[in-house]
Formats: sequence, C-alpha cells, structure tokens
Amino acid sequence: MDHHGAREMFSSFVDGELGETSRRELEQHLEACIQCRTELEEFRRAVGGLARLKHAAPDSFLPKIQEQIFVRSRGRFFAGRWKLFGRIPFEWVSLAMIIAMLVYYIIRLRGAPTGVRPAL
Amino acid sequence: MEATLGLARRVRGGRVQFGSRRVSFEMSVAERLLIARLKERDEQAFNEVVRIHGDKVFSLVYRMIGNRAEAEDLAQEVFVTVFKTVDGFRGESKFSTWLLRIAANHCKNRMKYLARRRTDGGGLDDMPEGAMADAGRAPMQSHIDAPDVLLEAAELERLMQRAIETLDEEHRLLVVLRDVEELSYEEIGEVSGLPEGTIKSRLHRARMTIKEYLARRTR
Repeated sequence: MDHHGAREMFSSFVDGELGETSRRELEQHLEACIQCRTELEEFRRAVGGLARLKHAAPDSFLPKIQEQIFVRSRGRFFAGRWKLFGRIPFEWVSLAMIIAMLVYYIIRLRGAPTGVRPAL
Repeated sequence: MEATLGLARRVRGGRVQFGSRRVSFEMSVAERLLIARLKERDEQAFNEVVRIHGDKVFSLVYRMIGNRAEAEDLAQEVFVTVFKTVDGFRGESKFSTWLLRIAANHCKNRMKYLARRRTDGGGLDDMPEGAMADAGRAPMQSHIDAPDVLLEAAELERLMQRAIETLDEEHRLLVVLRDVEELSYEEIGEVSGLPEGTIKSRLHRARMTIKEYLARRTR
C-alpha cells in the first residue's frame, strides 16, 4: 500500500467502516510509515474538532419564532389563538350585537301592549 | 413528550429513496401524533417541535452560514417555513430529516445571497467577546472554565469554522451533517438526496481539506 492509498482510507477507518482486510493492510502501512501516521493523527483531530462545534439555539429562539408567526399570520396561524383572538373585531362584536338585540327585543316585548283587546 | 417519543411503540412510517435503493424507516406513534397536532395548528405542538429540533437546526444553520445573527434569523425562517408547509409533509421521510432538508435549502439560498452581497469577510462573530460568549454557551459546557481555556476554545472554534468556510456548499453541508450533527449516512442521504457512495467520497475530500487547512494554520 502506498501513501495515497492509505490516505484514501482515512475516513472509512475513522468511521470504523473499513473491512477487516483493508483495515489490517492500513494498520501495517501505518506501522511502517510515520508520515501517514502523522497525517492520520491530524485527520482524527480535525474530525474530532468538528464534533465539538454543536451550538445550542439562543434562549430567545422560541419566542422570536412565535412572534414572527403571529405577526405574519396576523394571529390566525394557531388554532387556539385564532378562535379567541384572531378575528375578534368581527366575530365577537357581531355576537355581542346579536345578544344586545335579543335582550332589547325581549325587554320591549314585555313592556309593549299586545294590541289585542279583550272581548267585551 | 420527549419521553413519550422515546417510549412510544414504533410503527412503520413509510419508505424513502436512498441512493439507488429504497429504505424503510419507522416513525413513532408519538411523532405521528405530534405532526397531526401540528397540522391542526396546535401551538403546544409547535413549541414541542422547536424544543426538540431547535438546537439541531440552529447548529446546522450556524455552521453553514458562520454568522450568528444571520443564523438566528435564518433558523427562525426555517421554522416559519416548516409550519407553513407542514400540510405537505406526507411522512415519506423522517420528520427530522424533512426539517433538516428545508434548513439545508434555506442555507444554500442564503449563502448564495450573502456571497453576492458580501463586501468584507465577516465570518464567525468577529468580536472576541462574542466568540467568548458563544464558546461559553456551547451545550456540552456545563461548568465555567478559566478565561484562558475559554479563549483557547473560542480560538479553536473560530479556526474550525474558518476551515469549514473554505468548503463549497455541498461539501460543507456533508461535513456539518456528519461530523457536527452526527447524522447517519442514511439520514444524510435523506437530507441531501445523494447516494451513499457519493456522500462518502465527498465527505472524505471535505475532511481532508479541513485537515490540510488546520495543519497549515497550526504548524
């Protein structure tokens, strides 16, 4: 095995995906070749360094998304909010008006004369 | 809910094309329920999805873009897109990979936009204080290190990020998915749409490029 062939196997070797025969061949080459050994060490360090780059989302992440969705959908995206607040002006106002009219009608009906005269 | 996700009985989710073969995958009952609630615009389900996948999406976007403010903005955009298009999710792939695919596409588009707009090389947070704070915020960091350790960690992080930024978008995506996010080759196939062989060969080239870059900078 030459240097190039050895280097081509680094990824599979580090991932533990090299077949038994290829792994043994590479290990034999590494024993004899300090250059490839050094390169493999650098390769491992690079891959290991990448694994430490995970990054948590900021604390404000969720509230900011909620705000964006709420603003962009004008409060109509979420089912719960939609029912309660999404279309407040129209649905709640019309409901209030119906109730008010009903109350007014009942009050007037009670107070108003029936217009029916008792038979003499 | 996360516990439920883990304990839930696994059910057949569907089949997905992976390279030249079709691979079956499993979706938990809890995940199906969560998606159903999402489609009904349930706010709690929405919060749950952001809690479960938020860090992964943010991390992917941050490493792809290299700028914290841009990454925050873009990661939010990813979730807005997810909730706008969740009705179109038919369960043919894992929800997590579907979400990461959206994130990857957003990243590619933003990278093209930024490349057009870029006037100076403002990669990872330029302010040392910002880098320090970021290093301190890393999820695995459960204790407060000494300032010199933090500085070293921030410097190393900056160097690694610069190394990633030397790659083109396709190679960068593969490195981030595999080595930062630690996805399996199968999941990377679902996100990138590439066959396994191509993923492996490109990933190897990308890792070698990063190794060379780091070797040049640290010798």
